[in-house]
Amino acid sequence: MIQVTIQLLAFFAAAVLVIIGIAGMLFLDNLIKKIIAFTLLSDGVNLLLVAVGYVEGGIVSILLPGMSTSEFASRAVLVFPVGIVLTNIVIGVSTTAILVALAIVLYRRYGTLKASKVLKGERR
Amino acid sequence: MTESISNLWSIALLVTIPIFATIIVNLLFNRNRAIKYISLISALSLVVITILSPYGFQWFTGQPALNPNTLTFTFDASIPAWRMALEFYFGPLQQVLIFVMALILVLVIGIATNGLTKNQGPYIGMIFLLFMSAAIIIMVNDLYHLWIAVEIGSLVVVGVVAASGEGIGQKAALKYALFSALSGAGLAIALALILGLTGYSNISDAIRYIQTTNLAGMSSILYVAFGFFILSWIYAGGLVPIHPLKSEVYGAAFPHGTAMLQAQSKLMLVAIGLVMLRLFGSLPFAREVMLSISVLTMMLGVVMALLQTDLRWILAYLIVSHSGLVTVGISLGTYDALVGGLFQAVNDVLYMSVLLLGCEAVYYFGKGTSTKTAVGIAKKAPWLALAMVLGTFAASGIPPFNGFQSKIILIQSALKVGLPEVAVVILILSVTTFIALFRGIYSIFLKPAETTPLAVSGSVPSEAQEDDKETPIPRGLYLSLAILVVITLILGVYPDLVIRFLTPVAQAVSIPWYP
Amino acid sequence: MVSVDSLYDKIKRWTVEFVGGSGYSNQMTGYMTGELQTVVFTLILASLFRIFSIPLGMVLLIAVAAALLYFAPMIVHVERESSNDLNRVLFWVVIYFAVIIAVTLWGR
Repeated sequence: MIQVTIQLLAFFAAAVLVIIGIAGMLFLDNLIKKIIAFTLLSDGVNLLLVAVGYVEGGIVSILLPGMSTSEFASRAVLVFPVGIVLTNIVIGVSTTAILVALAIVLYRRYGTLKASKVLKGERR
Repeated sequence: MTESISNLWSIALLVTIPIFATIIVNLLFNRNRAIKYISLISALSLVVITILSPYGFQWFTGQPALNPNTLTFTFDASIPAWRMALEFYFGPLQQVLIFVMALILVLVIGIATNGLTKNQGPYIGMIFLLFMSAAIIIMVNDLYHLWIAVEIGSLVVVGVVAASGEGIGQKAALKYALFSALSGAGLAIALALILGLTGYSNISDAIRYIQTTNLAGMSSILYVAFGFFILSWIYAGGLVPIHPLKSEVYGAAFPHGTAMLQAQSKLMLVAIGLVMLRLFGSLPFAREVMLSISVLTMMLGVVMALLQTDLRWILAYLIVSHSGLVTVGISLGTYDALVGGLFQAVNDVLYMSVLLLGCEAVYYFGKGTSTKTAVGIAKKAPWLALAMVLGTFAASGIPPFNGFQSKIILIQSALKVGLPEVAVVILILSVTTFIALFRGIYSIFLKPAETTPLAVSGSVPSEAQEDDKETPIPRGLYLSLAILVVITLILGVYPDLVIRFLTPVAQAVSIPWYP
Repeated sequence: MVSVDSLYDKIKRWTVEFVGGSGYSNQMTGYMTGELQTVVFTLILASLFRIFSIPLGMVLLIAVAAALLYFAPMIVHVERESSNDLNRVLFWVVIYFAVIIAVTLWGR
């Protein structure tokens, strides 16, 4: 019997977010909706990263004055995923900015945001 | 380990010089002369640093180890449990690949600062960032920086392609950006899975953990991580399902930009491929999957190249197809195959740059690069035609050129592991490369310009005016072509010049192939 | 009426299918070479399955040869599936990803 912990629930939620994101990018036709689907995907990844570093009853991994190192070692959360999440947020914002900028440029050029019209395959 | 324990000076410079150059040329924006000198000096300094630098490490941080005696954290290097979390390594492989990349950077900047007229700053800056992302990805030994380099690299590729300013470039950029978002997230998931499984972000540490610990039921996580890694691998190199998008990116950018893009993409392929071979090489079916992707890429790329009628697009598909050669070497994973694959990466960057810069030169005749419109250029520019033909010889693996040396190693290694089919595919790829390229080169350079007899009634005298659009090819372009052709020839005659840099890595990473 | 197509007729029809409109075009050589390449490459790929089991490889080879004859010209399909339509590429990537994970997990 698998114990239902917060970590497991978080993994589940992350998987749902990622699947919704991928499905949205695949099946939604509007470019803006595709970009929104990407942000969902990115959030799912962030949640997964945070959940990986989760420790039951954990503390922030900063060694505060008066704290013994052995207690710190046993209770502090893994510091690395937190750093990755921060980076992923930054990268997500910059990617979204580029995507939206290109979508605007293409909208001005073609007058529509439908991916099946703007980004359709063309023979060369 | 003979390397010193202190940080190496050159690694930091290889990353920071491109960043500072980017900032400065961005601020200069369109003062072309200043941009030209600053960027050329920066690029040349990168070449010099790569040549002069010794081998060594750069550590950003370490996960502290718990000292078993005192139960306190320590960064003491004498304790074997010290984990070097974020780590760059500059070794022989890195030296030769970054050197080639820096050489292409110098040539491309020399051309780009002559050709474009307005808003040079941001464009040159992005070309520097391309170099930086490639240099980072080939030097990293931790998953975190690997992921960041892939993300930065893909965003910069999008920028370079969108800078071409045409509708097709912007469309290609948006498609590539959407897909980069997907594969970047995939790589982050792979990173999270491996981090959760092993607790290490450093690749060497993660590998040691995977090899020494019984993962039991958790091992399926490793397979899912492998799938996500494959996703970013095919994305970075434009391997099979992505090949229409990647070739569109190559075809839509300026040809000199494409020279830089393909160099960056080859370095990414090598870096991610080596990491995958190290992390997952011993999993059943992992290398078979990688090999099948490589073979499919070679096949589809070269077949699609045959169908194109524009030299740009022929080259775009051929670049994708030749990426498959590099990955065949890496996915076979034996010593010989690795040497062949890595050597192929170097050669590929060089001869494709010859062809791409030649393609750029065709633009100066004012009729585009389509085989239907541009004809009979050899008469006007015989040296350009010669360079293109020599580049074709190198690309299709004809003996005194470098393409031959790496392909023969790859064919031999494929035969040695008992896969003659792969050897046959490589052979057919070489021949078809020649056919596809020569179709284009024949009509653009060698086919006599049709002297259309002026019909007596209703002739259109506009054709004579079209020829006036010709502009003289800058001398720097000819110089770059000459340098690259000479290098392909030298490497074809003395392959050991490069191969001795590749053998240490091949020895360290190789895994025997068992069918 | 019963079809009286000989192999020659089939090959001729298959060849003529490339010639869209006015006879020989600049692209025809490319399409012809591409078709032959696709056939050879597919056969080679099918024969690679002998590394798993030789009977499987033989059966696959024959099946693939038959399929190639039936679906010819292949190059049209190859070109259509290699289109640069974003949604189509995304679709192929998702399929690919699923197959890769399934194969590696099965290998375990």
